[in-house]
Amino acid sequence: MPLELHEETANLIGVVTVDEVEQLTGWLRTAKRPKVGLRRCNHLHTGALQALLLFRPKISSAPSDAFLATQVLPLLGVSGGPANKQGSDPP
Amino acid sequence: MNPLLSQFLAEANDLLASVDEGLLQLERVPGDPELVNEVFRAAHTFKGSSGLFDFPELTRLTHAAEDLLDQVRGGRLALDSGMTDDLLAAFDLIRGWLAHVTAHERLPASAGNDAAGLITRLRAPLGGEEAGPTSASAGPARVISAAPQWLAWFDAEWLTETAGWLATTASTLRFVWYTPDTDCFFRAEDPLHLIRQVPALDKLNVVQPQTWPTPEEYDEYACLLSFAVATRAAVGELEYLFRYVPDQIEIVELDADAITRHLSGEPPLHVEEPVTAAFVPMIDSELAADARAVLHAAHRALTMEGVVTEGTRLRSVRHAVTAAAGALGVPVALAEAGPAELIEAVVRLAGEAAPAPVPAAVAVEPVERREERADERRADDPGGQVGTRVLKVDQEKVDRLMELVGELNVAKNGLTFLADAAEEEFGSRVLSRRIKDQYAGLHRIAEELQAAVMDVRMLPLSVAFGRFPRLVRDLSRRLGKTIELVTEGEDTMADKDVIEALGDPLVHLVRNSLDHGIEPSDERVAAGKAPAARLTLAAVADGDAVIVEVSDDGRGVDPERVKRKAYEKGLISEEELETLSDSEAVDLVFRPGFSTADQVSDLSGRGVGMDAVRASVEKLGGAVTMKSKFGQGTYTRLRLPLSMAVTQVMVVSVSGQRFGIPVDLVVETVRVPVAEMGRVLHQDVVMMRGEVVPVIDLARVLDMPWAPGEGEDRRILVVSVNGQRIGLLVEAFHREVDVILKPMEGLLAYADEFSGTALLGDGLVLLVLNMKEVLGLAARVA
Repeated sequence: MPLELHEETANLIGVVTVDEVEQLTGWLRTAKRPKVGLRRCNHLHTGALQALLLFRPKISSAPSDAFLATQVLPLLGVSGGPANKQGSDPP
Repeated sequence: MNPLLSQFLAEANDLLASVDEGLLQLERVPGDPELVNEVFRAAHTFKGSSGLFDFPELTRLTHAAEDLLDQVRGGRLALDSGMTDDLLAAFDLIRGWLAHVTAHERLPASAGNDAAGLITRLRAPLGGEEAGPTSASAGPARVISAAPQWLAWFDAEWLTETAGWLATTASTLRFVWYTPDTDCFFRAEDPLHLIRQVPALDKLNVVQPQTWPTPEEYDEYACLLSFAVATRAAVGELEYLFRYVPDQIEIVELDADAITRHLSGEPPLHVEEPVTAAFVPMIDSELAADARAVLHAAHRALTMEGVVTEGTRLRSVRHAVTAAAGALGVPVALAEAGPAELIEAVVRLAGEAAPAPVPAAVAVEPVERREERADERRADDPGGQVGTRVLKVDQEKVDRLMELVGELNVAKNGLTFLADAAEEEFGSRVLSRRIKDQYAGLHRIAEELQAAVMDVRMLPLSVAFGRFPRLVRDLSRRLGKTIELVTEGEDTMADKDVIEALGDPLVHLVRNSLDHGIEPSDERVAAGKAPAARLTLAAVADGDAVIVEVSDDGRGVDPERVKRKAYEKGLISEEELETLSDSEAVDLVFRPGFSTADQVSDLSGRGVGMDAVRASVEKLGGAVTMKSKFGQGTYTRLRLPLSMAVTQVMVVSVSGQRFGIPVDLVVETVRVPVAEMGRVLHQDVVMMRGEVVPVIDLARVLDMPWAPGEGEDRRILVVSVNGQRIGLLVEAFHREVDVILKPMEGLLAYADEFSGTALLGDGLVLLVLNMKEVLGLAARVA
């Protein structure tokens, strides 16, 4: 199971496919202060990435996957920014 | 003509008609999703089938029409009468082409030119991506001088550095702009997955929407992200990687100069607030076009009298307008707005979304288009003929026609009785002759009519054989046997009822052959046969019957084993076990409850096989025989009447009441002097050519008051039932007639001894005997 959802923390494991997007989004909607661990995540579906970008959960652990760590994590690392922050250039 | 093509043409006719009708209805009820879907499906099927043939123009044109309809279907575009005209014109053009195809098997030479204009017009409402300046810049591997606007997504510092490096090394870098469709997730596309496959990825920018929806409105299945990628991979590699989404990407190859020019030429783009300024137009073109289309549609819906009045529709319009406003970046609160406020909001929004090319174009174009179209085909043009005219007629209608032909025959036969009456009762031979002349003419027409209707019901045996190649292939793979299926005489025709009823028995027989008859390859090789077994299905017409043979070159039926099994199951007595000949033994497989299979497989061997085959074939008025040579193969022969609609019966009478007996069963009619009748074990018998034939008194069986006169010759009708000869003692023989048999229904349904009723020419009802049941009844009476 690529999603391990707890009350305020979630771990994404392996390949997160489009099938998990709805569940993940639902969890992000309800969790008050969501924290997401990406350590064991190998790939995120675009929909999952989009949800993370919208809800901006705190990222509790960095992915070990090279692509996610170098290209995707910087996008998520910006915490606390307004949801409609424009642009995506890393600061 | 290629049968596939002629089938396509026949189907095309139906599809074209349904597209036409759907489009016309759509004009009356715009936006009905069911109708749009229907038209879309027809266009889609059309495109799919046209791809089978070498008609590229046809495929391109239908593709354009399909794309337009897809947008309409998705609610991204409101269908207006201009578009409807274009669509109708497209399908009219297709109709013309297909008429040409019917005659010449190719598209007219002018097809390409004719289509080009229409394709452009059909694509116009879609935003005419083809003509856009951006895609022109996405040319194949060449260094382009102009940097695209979206280069601003890249960090200026990084761009400067990169430009410096590129200048030093005199090399180039590829940039990809990937804007996935919002609904791409539904097509199992994962843009991020594509991106991560980009080789030698240098820089990735994930472009987030200008305005995120609120968490409540957020649709997790709508892709809102875009990607700007810089890579050292070659254009060819990128084109290959993105080959399934060519319309969603833009690839450019830039050198240092291009980047520098971009950096210096548009300085405000990359200093402090590059994004907003540079990207409003971009997002505008992507999203706002949709939004404007929605607003335009909403406006039409609101201003149209009586369309949007009640709650649900109003709510949905309100929702659409709010969403469109959000997309345009001017959120509005319309929670409780009525129609009037909505119109106002729509007008305001349309104004704010200032350069609104789409609605403007829509409003203007129809006029020009109509003028252009003056020289085109008009709806009332006779047009060409597409395909041979094939009527699809409900079976019931054909059955009804057949019934009426039967009635006509009966009415016609009444004339002979009238002629007799004219002569006998009214003494006018002249009138009698004239009636008979009339009868002859009417008879000829009725016969022809009957033949014509029967012909309509005729189907080739290939319909019944069609399922076997697949069945044999699947089963032979499952059983691990190599089998070659040969079909012969597929074009033999038979009545549709026969063909339909033939299906199950044939499946039984083929399965039996595959499962029991045919040996595995190694066993065959050991027996000195070819490793691949041969299963033959053959059909041949034989007078008014059709013969279907199923034969294999398998191991055949072992008569000893069959006898032993039958004895074990109590189907035959010990004496029979000793005395039955080999051919009689083979016939045992038709006994109810017989099965030689030691194990019940899922294919056969449940003991319901062959007797079910015999029963169903006999119900059709046919017969099954099986011949087998042990070790060499089995051969099963089904003999079926060509048509079940008309049955030939022999009419006999007992105690003044007439009965029909199917002619197929009748062996002979004989008159036997009383003295030659014998009696063996309480059973009347007659010796015929050295054979003892039991005789049944039909009157007694049917409980009718009649006894043959003393010393009068006995009239005996010899029938053959289940290979057994039996004589029927009757009062008188009459002629043979063709009748249309009606099954016993209602109050008479219980009377199994009759297989049906038929109306005779003189208005009498003829009961047709079911000989099997009659014999059973005779055994009980005796």
